[in-house]
Amino acid sequence: MRRALLLGRAVVFCLAAAVVVGGGLAAADDPAPASAAFFSQRVAPLLESHCAACHGAEKQEGGLRLDGLAGLSAGGATGAAIVPGSAAESLLVVAVSRVDDALAMPPEGKLAEADVAAIRAWIDAGAPHPDGPLTVPVPVPPFDPAEKRRFWSLTPPQRPRPPAVRDAALVATPIDAFVVARLDEAGIVPAAIADPATLLRRASLVLTGLPPTPDEVDAFLADPAADAWDKAVERLLASPRYGEHQARHWLDVVRYADSNGLDENIAHGNAWRYRDWVIAAFNRDEPFDAFLRAHLAGDLLVTEGMDEARRAELLTATGFLAMGPKVLAEGDQEKLLADIVDEQIDTVGKAFLGLSFGCARCHDHKFDPVSQADYYALAGVFKSTTTMESLARIAKWHENDVATAAERAALAAGQERVAAHQRSIDALLAETRTALAAAAQSGVQGGAQTGGETGGDTGAAAPPPGEIPEERFPEDVRARLAALREELKGLEAALPAPATAMGVREGTPEEARVALRGSHLAPGRRVPRGVPAVLEIDRPLAVPAAGSGRRELADWLVDPRHPLTARVFVNRVWRWHFGRGIVPTPDNFGFQGEAPTNQPLLDWLACEFVASGWSVKHLHRLILASRVWRSSSDPAASPTRDLAEAVDPAAERLWRFPLRRLEAESVRDATLAVSGLLDTTMGGSMLHVANRAFLFDHTSIDGTKYDSPRRSIYLPVIRNHIHDAFWLFDCTDGAVPNGDRGSSTVASQALYLLNSEFEIGCAEALAERALAAAPADRALVPTILWRRVLGRHPTAAEARLALDGAAAIEAALADEGVAEEARRKRAWAAVAQALLAGNEFLFVR
Amino acid sequence: MPMHPPSVPADPVPRAAPGRRRLLASTAAGFGWLAARALLAAGADGDAAAPWRGPARAKRVIFMFMKGGPSQVDTFDYKPRLQADDGKELPFAKPRVQFAPTGNLLGSPWKFARHGASGIHVSELFPHVARHVDDICFLNSCHGTNSAHGGAVLKLHTGSDTFVRPSMGAWVNYGLGTDNADLPGFLTISPTLAHGGLNNWNSAFLPARYQGVPMGVASRPATEARVKFMGNPRYGAAVQRRQLDLLAGLDRAAGLPPDPQLEARLESFELAFRMQATMPGLQDIAGETAETLALYGLDDPRTENFGRQCLMARRFAEAGVRFVQVTHSDAKVQWDQHGDLLAGHTEKASEVDRPIAGLLTDLKRRGLLDDTLVVWGGEFGRTPVAQGKDGRDHNPDGYTMWMAGGGVKGGQRYGATDEYGYYAVDRRMHIHDVHATMLWLLGIDHEKLTWRHAGRDFRLTDVAGEVHHGVLA
Repeated sequence: MRRALLLGRAVVFCLAAAVVVGGGLAAADDPAPASAAFFSQRVAPLLESHCAACHGAEKQEGGLRLDGLAGLSAGGATGAAIVPGSAAESLLVVAVSRVDDALAMPPEGKLAEADVAAIRAWIDAGAPHPDGPLTVPVPVPPFDPAEKRRFWSLTPPQRPRPPAVRDAALVATPIDAFVVARLDEAGIVPAAIADPATLLRRASLVLTGLPPTPDEVDAFLADPAADAWDKAVERLLASPRYGEHQARHWLDVVRYADSNGLDENIAHGNAWRYRDWVIAAFNRDEPFDAFLRAHLAGDLLVTEGMDEARRAELLTATGFLAMGPKVLAEGDQEKLLADIVDEQIDTVGKAFLGLSFGCARCHDHKFDPVSQADYYALAGVFKSTTTMESLARIAKWHENDVATAAERAALAAGQERVAAHQRSIDALLAETRTALAAAAQSGVQGGAQTGGETGGDTGAAAPPPGEIPEERFPEDVRARLAALREELKGLEAALPAPATAMGVREGTPEEARVALRGSHLAPGRRVPRGVPAVLEIDRPLAVPAAGSGRRELADWLVDPRHPLTARVFVNRVWRWHFGRGIVPTPDNFGFQGEAPTNQPLLDWLACEFVASGWSVKHLHRLILASRVWRSSSDPAASPTRDLAEAVDPAAERLWRFPLRRLEAESVRDATLAVSGLLDTTMGGSMLHVANRAFLFDHTSIDGTKYDSPRRSIYLPVIRNHIHDAFWLFDCTDGAVPNGDRGSSTVASQALYLLNSEFEIGCAEALAERALAAAPADRALVPTILWRRVLGRHPTAAEARLALDGAAAIEAALADEGVAEEARRKRAWAAVAQALLAGNEFLFVR
Repeated sequence: MPMHPPSVPADPVPRAAPGRRRLLASTAAGFGWLAARALLAAGADGDAAAPWRGPARAKRVIFMFMKGGPSQVDTFDYKPRLQADDGKELPFAKPRVQFAPTGNLLGSPWKFARHGASGIHVSELFPHVARHVDDICFLNSCHGTNSAHGGAVLKLHTGSDTFVRPSMGAWVNYGLGTDNADLPGFLTISPTLAHGGLNNWNSAFLPARYQGVPMGVASRPATEARVKFMGNPRYGAAVQRRQLDLLAGLDRAAGLPPDPQLEARLESFELAFRMQATMPGLQDIAGETAETLALYGLDDPRTENFGRQCLMARRFAEAGVRFVQVTHSDAKVQWDQHGDLLAGHTEKASEVDRPIAGLLTDLKRRGLLDDTLVVWGGEFGRTPVAQGKDGRDHNPDGYTMWMAGGGVKGGQRYGATDEYGYYAVDRRMHIHDVHATMLWLLGIDHEKLTWRHAGRDFRLTDVAGEVHHGVLA
């Protein structure tokens, strides 16, 4: 800080002087830069007078000594000071040319331009030194990859054998064996299986994000078949609502959003295509390895003659890399690019590997075995990829053309219609003008006035036919023109938008340079593209010179021997079921993440998942068939309740099913569903602004619209301004990957549930239905409400509470002067709202 | 990094019973002890013995955000050389990265005069604020890193222009805990939705209870500034009371197993109900005297809007809200005068000068200025060189913010820009330093106020920030 403080002034006042003195490099009789004499005469005196006080015999700040061959060779703590033959990669040059405040030397002020040039020239010439050649040490990795690979998450999983347990009756699937074996160690007996209605509700909420309808509950409870449960699970897995709900989980992981957020909040007008693809992929159980490869390298998997819908999907999938928040008004374009690459590395690391690479942008990772060189090896892959079309403020991201032949044809046909229409307008204009000109001509020749629009003028003043203004056209022609032009506008408005999707394409292959302290202004040595050394499978990643390396990166990730990919994903699915991962930090499988609570279980799931052909639905079936999943959430259902509560109050070892609040989207969707208002239309964009248009500019005028009864996944995710209800209920705004949403309890949630038009509106719709279904018998109203909202009948006590509550509220409404005919409906709406705000409705149990 | 200096007297707050204090604070907030402990992993919030807590000079912050970037050289950073060299070429280099092309030096169209016992120069734009210079510490050497509004606004509010991080108000709310359980700890009045929007008051990875609660939006008048969902559009309090009783009864009757989350939800409805009863009274300024209303400029349509924000800010601060932000913005271009500086800055300053001075006067006469830290500033300043013929471009390299009240040594200009007001050169204060100093005044060590997230301990000041002790009284 202090140093920077001095430098600021120095930078300012030295620049002008530098320009003046920066003349020729050296006089004609001086030694050539490629000579040791040049060093002695030209460079050594500079080092002696400007550097040696801090980097000499007395002091070696930053571990650097510049007063001899040994020191010049060795460099300092931040790396090689001199790379012979490459001034651009030499930190000494970075420092003295003062391109970056983080490393600007000497502290008292900039060297004369000619002196900096001399140092450059000497290094570019190979840095010859009178005492011999500089021997720059090869950078030593900060750790031994082989040793670090012994960390649990970096060792490939081996399929473990399910352990033996005390009571085999508690084991329905291998999952149970792994869980119960751990409980056996503590002497805990798991809770009994929950009642069927609770299970169906739980399965519906977990798989589809919606509660079961009363009919679905009735049918399930009435089904005596032994496989009734399996059938129910299959029904839910086959429901389109399944893909919608699972996709919403995935969108958190990939920080999906329909706007850029950050500084310039403009619309990702085509992000919805990615979202719809994810929904479809979950619904048809696209194998996860194929799903992942499409994310990183979809554009490279497109083949000649491929089904065009699949082609569009593959091009759309790389939207994953393009959707991150970007500082689109960044004035420093190199920084913008470096920041985009950084965001991509961070997202790929967290989403697929459960590792955070961000730290290694500036230095070797302090905790995880990821060196700065590893980071720039990955950065090379993304630097060799084109994400942006233009970097000029406001920067534009690239979009791939994903139009199908039919869409292209429709667009061409539309354009042709527009063109044809324009031609007929032009023809009418020309025809009219010709006629008018001819009439004027004959008027002049005949010496008579033609009257009407062109009358009165003398022949000499008549404009050439092409310039006759339309005001002179006959009335009927002008009317026809106006009508034609109106039609043209309609045709233009009806033109389909070109079908494009955010996504990347191959760029110019390049190896990235290790940036000193992460600053793009201080680039150092180049490193070959690749993956972190500690994660190499057998050998370094083989990146072809001609490509970016994304395809190889994707193939490496889905290699069955990869230690992380399958583990990270099955842990996410487990988190979606139980509210907590086996590794409780789903985005961090590194040294700072939490250890798995049951690694054999995790490894078994990972191996089984890969063996099944990466089938996500298979994984769900496995989990849903387990006794663990079907256990009651009530502690009293465990015969060893006291012990279990003492040892594991939050049920982290799953001796019972852990209770949890619905996620924001399910709160909304479930409320709409039980009120009978949910619109299940799928797909498409609901953004109200055009692609790349501002959602929010300096005016702060709020034009966001969330007033739709469709499922929450289809509402635009506006970064910096997500839906109120989503914000209040811990939804992420898609700025960073987040596989572990919080679940807070704050008073503003209560205010929303009590006072928002949404909740009141849903409650009124619900009450209206209940009252309409029981016009004569008020006592039936609670039954209808409870069945719709909670999927069960009210107890006698609950029905009494509801009836008394409604009566009390009616009386209070009367005191408020509400007319009698409105009171009943309002009172029951207030009761329905209390039910919608209650714990039983809003919790998975 | 310097810690709190040894000369400061020992913590006056007894540290003997943190557990009990914590318990009381939690219970007052409406949560059962167990529920609170289970839900609020923070544990130490509101606890004077929290590891980051030290002696505090201020208990709360009022931040006056001037959106768009007011010009330092036309307000509080007097540069006689700039006036003398009007029209000449800047004799040193412009920054490597600029927002827009600029030309030669542009003298300030306003006259400066000395004010107060300290004799600090203030331009004619702020005649009312000028009377308070002896209470104000002008931070003339502020600098940031981002020359575009979005990045700079985020940097100012969250310390980061590239990542989503908790807002400074959320950090303060987390660091100090609530002072009034029936109110949010962090309110932002008429915030701007542009340039970061929500993320300028969000809690990011900090627990949601620390996030700022917005009242209204910059594009609407402050008379409409309300906390969303505070108050029911259909039912009166009596009806709602019965509804809440029913809700509580149904939750109990449902027979769900005892669980801290469920208990906390029950309590949250009661807290909401109390908030709903408290907030309207605080927002209602009808009880203020005509003299007070005039003090804030509510008698003049030009100053009415910002004056109302400032008056509400005082009322909330008085009631125990830890961090109140007011925003001078609207649906136009605010302080962002790329052209016609004269008209733009004249208009903007005339809207805020009286309200700001009124707030300072009012806080002082109520004895609140001693422990209320008032912070004023925009996301950056403006260039001393002209953009076009009569405008100024964004300048993050040297600009002025100011602090007054709680523990601040008034009547001084701290730090300096170069002789034209372009670059901060003396005792440079990066925005991280401003944050560190602000936290220090609140008795918070910015290096110790951390939150573990994604395997790392995060701070408002990232890995930087230095407390500038020269600012302190």
